[in-house]
Amino acid sequence: MLAKYVARRFLASLVVVLGVTLITLVLMDRTRGTYVPGIDLNPALRPEDIARLRADLGLDRPFYVWYLTWIWGVVHGDFGRSMIDGSTVMSHILDRLPNTLELTGTAILIGIIIAIPVGVIGALRHGSKADHTLTVVSVAGFAVPQFWMGLILILIFSVTLEQHGLPWLPSSGAYSAHNGGDFIDRIEHLILPATVLSFFYMSTWSRFIRSSMLEVLSQDYIRTARAKGMSERRVVYLHGLRNALIPLVTLIGLELPGLVSGGLVVEVVFGWPGIGKLAFERALQYDYTTVMGVTFFATMLVIAGNLLADLLYGVLDPRIRYS
Amino acid sequence: MIGPSRVAELDMPGAAIEGSSTRPAQSYWNESWERLRANRIGMAAGILILIFALIAILAPVFSAVLTHFQPQTIDLSQTFSPPGGKHLLGTDELGRDTLTRLIWGARVTLGVALLTVAVSLTVGTAVGMTAGYYGGWLDDVLMRLVDTVLAIPAIFLFILMSILFRPTPISLALIIASVGWGQVARLVRGEVLSVKQRDFILATRSIGARHLRLMLRHLLPNVLPVLIVAASLGVGQIILIEAALDFLGLGIQPPTPSWGNQLTNAESYFFHSIWLVNFPGLLIFVTVLASNVFGNAIRDAFDPRLK
Repeated sequence: MLAKYVARRFLASLVVVLGVTLITLVLMDRTRGTYVPGIDLNPALRPEDIARLRADLGLDRPFYVWYLTWIWGVVHGDFGRSMIDGSTVMSHILDRLPNTLELTGTAILIGIIIAIPVGVIGALRHGSKADHTLTVVSVAGFAVPQFWMGLILILIFSVTLEQHGLPWLPSSGAYSAHNGGDFIDRIEHLILPATVLSFFYMSTWSRFIRSSMLEVLSQDYIRTARAKGMSERRVVYLHGLRNALIPLVTLIGLELPGLVSGGLVVEVVFGWPGIGKLAFERALQYDYTTVMGVTFFATMLVIAGNLLADLLYGVLDPRIRYS
Repeated sequence: MIGPSRVAELDMPGAAIEGSSTRPAQSYWNESWERLRANRIGMAAGILILIFALIAILAPVFSAVLTHFQPQTIDLSQTFSPPGGKHLLGTDELGRDTLTRLIWGARVTLGVALLTVAVSLTVGTAVGMTAGYYGGWLDDVLMRLVDTVLAIPAIFLFILMSILFRPTPISLALIIASVGWGQVARLVRGEVLSVKQRDFILATRSIGARHLRLMLRHLLPNVLPVLIVAASLGVGQIILIEAALDFLGLGIQPPTPSWGNQLTNAESYFFHSIWLVNFPGLLIFVTVLASNVFGNAIRDAFDPRLK
């Protein structure tokens, strides 16, 4: 039963993957006829040079050849070649991936660690002052533009502290060049961007845990547990929280692609050398193939994350049956 | 981006009032309006947005009467003047009046948000209703298309499209809506699937109503509450996305002022001119906050069981 379900889901995912390649390629096909990278830098190029450049990049080939070539590259794991430096997109991704995972992984972890107690307190003291305060904070977390929050944090913790001769936090990059980026140095660079990013996750997930916990606590089995004289702590944490966290698994599974794409704006603001910043920089240079390769890579993660979350959900909650 | 997906699982909101026979009969819309009016914070947020919208519409009047500057008037003798005096909220690196640019920026921000919502709702409703109503292979094809669009991380898709299509307010709205419609389509399809089963649809069909009439006259009004909720919850997200794209330089291009692109160069100036960072950011924050609070109020009023 499960195997059949997995197979069907896998096939459906494959259709989506093919659809994604078509959409991105059709979008890109709109421009590839005219664009030659570097042409704006050197207006003295002769027409035959331009033709040669275009041929090198494969821009003169018909659409289906181009598409199939790209697919061939994806199957072999290179995700296409950059229009600017000719290296494979995969090499760029692998180059930046550790930095991105460091940032988003930390932020997601901090987000979960803060969100669970915040959500539980909100549910247990439902309607209290603490609940209201936490609600206001998380509502604000949904509304604050990440780039603005980043700028303000840089202003306070990098600029102002430095001006007053106090210890300050670096505002840009993942490590500093002069002391080789040791552990402490990396942590210092991580603090500000991770704070901005985790604030968003914290807001989302704490609301979610709060309502999930409220729902679980009104279930019959909680009443039964209380009726048989179980201590309130055991009721809340053993029966309540454990069940309330199940839907969170789905949510975090859905956030898996966020590991790569979720931090784009934060990466740009803090000059964090990650995948999001790569896509952004290459977009400004009109390096379509790189942007497309990265987009496709991130899309693969979405599809994998959805599938994984679906399956995990069934493992954790036996009431769910695959059909 | 638009609306929580759990809305889709719910049945008709109208069912909630059927049981209460002690009160005088009231229409669903009246009932909802009463509930909305009773929500003071929600109403305050709604009125704030209305005021912002009025300011945006009347921007030429404001810049003539209140600020006495045009958004693109450059005055190099007045660069970085602090708030107060002739420039109420100070000036930027080209001596342009911040307040004037914020007022004109409201046109862009709110206009793009409005257009995005309108396009997402129209396309999403059409697709979702077609898929849900006809079912079968048409449903499969349309929903796989929705899956595909929604599988691509939105921010990458926005970046890709904004380098392919020169962003103007209209094309930017279309770019953001190119993801939004998928979420609406899913929502509407789920709703249509449940409403379709009800007896009055069978009755309407049995007296020979055509498909189009059935969809527009009978299904659409029943889907409307879900759409209203989705639209009002989506506005805040759209404003944030639009502001982020503008900030990144991938959205509305200077010299046209928008709230987001006024922050693009902020990092170079905020050492000495903090107001250039504070005011646009605060404005985005307050507007999104008000939209979200109002959206929640709308949801509570139109779909009380979701509260």
